[in-house]
Amino acid sequence: MSDLVRKEMIEPILSTGASSRADADVAARFKAGDAVIARNLNPHGHTRLPRYVRGRRGTVERDHGVFVFPDTLVAGAGTKPQHVYSVRFSARELWGPDSPEKDALYIDMFDDYLDPA
Amino acid sequence: MNSIADLGGMDGLGPINPEKGEPVFHAEWERRTMGLTLLAIMQGHFNVDQIRHAIERMDPVEYLGSEYYSHWLHGTEELLIQNGVVTRAELEAKRAVLAGES
Repeated sequence: MSDLVRKEMIEPILSTGASSRADADVAARFKAGDAVIARNLNPHGHTRLPRYVRGRRGTVERDHGVFVFPDTLVAGAGTKPQHVYSVRFSARELWGPDSPEKDALYIDMFDDYLDPA
Repeated sequence: MNSIADLGGMDGLGPINPEKGEPVFHAEWERRTMGLTLLAIMQGHFNVDQIRHAIERMDPVEYLGSEYYSHWLHGTEELLIQNGVVTRAELEAKRAVLAGES
């Protein structure tokens, strides 16, 4: 635990949003263009994998780089740095055939949330 | 967890309606809550993911019926209690004094 918090430490944190980017050389399991399926994980602890996307098929749009993993961080089980991807899911995939054909949702997902399709 | 905070896809909540000219803080207690939470994180009492999870564990009715910074305050209190920095009895006793109840 650090001791003193000084006033000049505050503004940089508020303006940058205290990034959770990690400086770790971790291999990416996926790349832009890959077809993926969101895992059906229902942990009792913390996750950032929302229910509406689990088991759904999408396409990796972009690799954002490496970040610390909230699921393990909350459990005190380490930072487990890993790649985070922007994944595109069509509206029809998520909400059914009545959805507009051209609509899509892009959601940022950790490597551990995905399987290859 | 499959918590109340995971609202994506749920109907009935109405459109997102941003307040025009919304102030950064609606009241002084919101400003203090942000400062308290930020300080607690900077001093290493918990991390931002842990406070998110503490908010996820709120009673669902209380979660939906309370303000954004109420969620932060709840999370900060629960984590400081969980970590043994303060007890629930101490917080309640102080609250009662400040409210003029004792």
